[in-house]
Amino acid sequence: MLKILVKKQLGEIFRSYTYDAKKNRARSKAATIGFFVFFVVLMVGVLGGLFTFLSLAMCGEMAQVGMDWLYFTIMTLLAAFLGIFGSVFNTYSSLYMAKDNDLLLSLPIPVRVIMAARLISVYLMGLMYSAVVYLPALIVYWAVVEMSAKTVLGGLLLLVLLSIFVLTLSCALGWVVAKISQKLKNKSFITVLVSLVFIGAYYFFYAKAQSLLAELLANAVYYGDSIRSAAYPLYLVGRVAVGDGAAMAIVTAAVLVLFGLVWYLIARSFLKLATSTGAVAKREYREKAVQLKSVDSALLGRELAHFTASANYMLNCGLGTLGLVIGAAALVWKGGTFLPMLEMVFDGRPGALSVLLCAGLCTLVSMNDMAAPSVSLEGKSLWLAQSLPVKTWQVLRAKLRMHLLLTAVPAALCGVCVAIVSPAAAAQTALALVVAALFTVLSALLGLFLGLKMPNLHWTSEITPIKQGGAVALAMLSGMVYAALLAGGFFLIGWRMGYMAFMAAFAAVTLAACVLLLRWIKTKGCAVFANL
Amino acid sequence: MLRIEHLTKTYGEKKAVDDLSLHIQAGEIYGFIGHNGAGKTTTLKSVAGILQFDGGEILVDGKSVRTQPLECKKEIAYIPDNPDLYEYMTGIKYLNFIADIFGVSAQVRQERIRKYADLFELTADLAQPIAAYSHGMKQKLAIISAWLHDPKLIIMDEPFVGLDPKAAHILKGMMRELCDAGGAIFFSTHVLEVAEKLCDKVAIIKGGKLIRSGTMEEVKGDDSLEEVFLELEDESC
Repeated sequence: MLKILVKKQLGEIFRSYTYDAKKNRARSKAATIGFFVFFVVLMVGVLGGLFTFLSLAMCGEMAQVGMDWLYFTIMTLLAAFLGIFGSVFNTYSSLYMAKDNDLLLSLPIPVRVIMAARLISVYLMGLMYSAVVYLPALIVYWAVVEMSAKTVLGGLLLLVLLSIFVLTLSCALGWVVAKISQKLKNKSFITVLVSLVFIGAYYFFYAKAQSLLAELLANAVYYGDSIRSAAYPLYLVGRVAVGDGAAMAIVTAAVLVLFGLVWYLIARSFLKLATSTGAVAKREYREKAVQLKSVDSALLGRELAHFTASANYMLNCGLGTLGLVIGAAALVWKGGTFLPMLEMVFDGRPGALSVLLCAGLCTLVSMNDMAAPSVSLEGKSLWLAQSLPVKTWQVLRAKLRMHLLLTAVPAALCGVCVAIVSPAAAAQTALALVVAALFTVLSALLGLFLGLKMPNLHWTSEITPIKQGGAVALAMLSGMVYAALLAGGFFLIGWRMGYMAFMAAFAAVTLAACVLLLRWIKTKGCAVFANL
Repeated sequence: MLRIEHLTKTYGEKKAVDDLSLHIQAGEIYGFIGHNGAGKTTTLKSVAGILQFDGGEILVDGKSVRTQPLECKKEIAYIPDNPDLYEYMTGIKYLNFIADIFGVSAQVRQERIRKYADLFELTADLAQPIAAYSHGMKQKLAIISAWLHDPKLIIMDEPFVGLDPKAAHILKGMMRELCDAGGAIFFSTHVLEVAEKLCDKVAIIKGGKLIRSGTMEEVKGDDSLEEVFLELEDESC
């Protein structure tokens, strides 16, 4: 029974890899393998590569001064943070908010089996996210410092314990989110707010990471001793990976006890939370004056209503809006002193600063990808968009407008700040902003194109198209690749062509891509949507 | 009001609807009955402009669904078998959204929302998110939204499923009222007693083919609709 349910959960998560919603049939084996290979490359190659570099920077130096346990403690904490951050809302959505909870609870399946199946899928997601940090750290340690029976045993045991700990904390936090959600009125906004505090803290530490790392490496022994005396459990965690038998026994026992407690807590309240319809005080309807809207405004309002009603949608697809506002503030705050210094660094490459600013702006813009899952999010209510007297293009245009409204406005604000503080010539800055503006349009069009190409209307939890959809992953990756091509291309060949020629060529290519995508969406894309 | 001529729709190799022709006049409540998978929903979705069909023609008030889909959709309201509405909206936001799409004036929409929401006892819940509605409440909301723009033709797929007896009674009254005012209703149902009492005409479909249609008297004669339906089912086996 458990195996069947886990298979169903995993099948749902990776449904777009195995099933072609457009053709309403299973993908070919080759296509499925291709999707999985791409996913592995993304996780192992990109994220894994990033943490391999970090591990290489830290491992040797810390091991030399006998602080290899501290190295493992830090990497384990990083892995736990990424794992928990990646799975807490997934836990909440798939454990308590899954649309098939009622169906499964009505079947002769013990509640604990349903819970276990849900938790196993959460466990696997958490394991994936944390392993992408921890495994490179472990392999680097084996390669650089020591690979013996005890370090292999300890290292692998810590991976298992880490994944169980991530599951435990994700479940505990998911349970807290579910409890709070029952009482909140504007839960999506509050969820977003709380998440943003976490993200803010994350970026704060991320921004400080370089200096913190240098400080840590220079004073590893001092910090190691401080942590050991102030937070002994963290010391024990690090000691597990270097093969300390006592640490292995204590940490294993602690993690298992913690997991047992959380399991008990969830098991007691799962049924109540999963079947709850919300204890929020009922809002009484009072008739108000109606504001009439045009068809286009109504469709845009529908898209915005969906976006603002879903914390998952806002958090996973709309962080660029906040990033651009923060970017604008940072430019005003530090840009005046920082940018002239940066320009001096690239003195031999005229225009490099403008290219970097443009690439930075494009990266922030690419963090918004709300158009990508918007087609799949129509889900079972697609019949409405198809039966109402509106052109398919109007429905799709509303999705583009929502994306552009939430991205172009803060991007314009950021662009104005760039124009004010950049020491580059006005024409240079103007061209950089033109490229960024074109990219903003391109990212919306590309997101919608991918959404139409990879639709998944048969989800049971909206987290599936938002977080696990191929369209979203590809849209975000494409944006980053664009920014990398812009900056990398300039430093490789662009500076030889001259800034204006390089950027004009980039603008022309971007514009051409926009025109092609727009034409496809207006013709074939509309046909695809009408036939979904 | 509605002319379906030689409608054909296939899914892969399977003919879901095969050369089906039906004419529905203004003022008629037209029932559409058949076993599960007979082709009822496919026909209704084709009329509503949701499904593209392979052959034949559908005319709503003389306009082609194929070539003038928007003009047809403006005259139609469609209620599916499962009211999957926008769960992220409140009931009132949903109704205003539909009214905006159909260009219903502020005064008219407020009057109609007040009238039908009060009839279905849904007024107090209009500020609630649709996600918190029961199946029956969603069905009531879908019905109210269908009546908002005063459509000439209402297409309904199993409209009585999930409705309490009082709401079902109200809906029957609304259907008759709309048809008496010159509109038409084409709906599918498995509840043959309802079809027998409510419909002016009825069509029976099996395996995508129309096997009998006409006025209720023509179709059932002195027998009950249930007896005729079962007999026809057996005959075509």
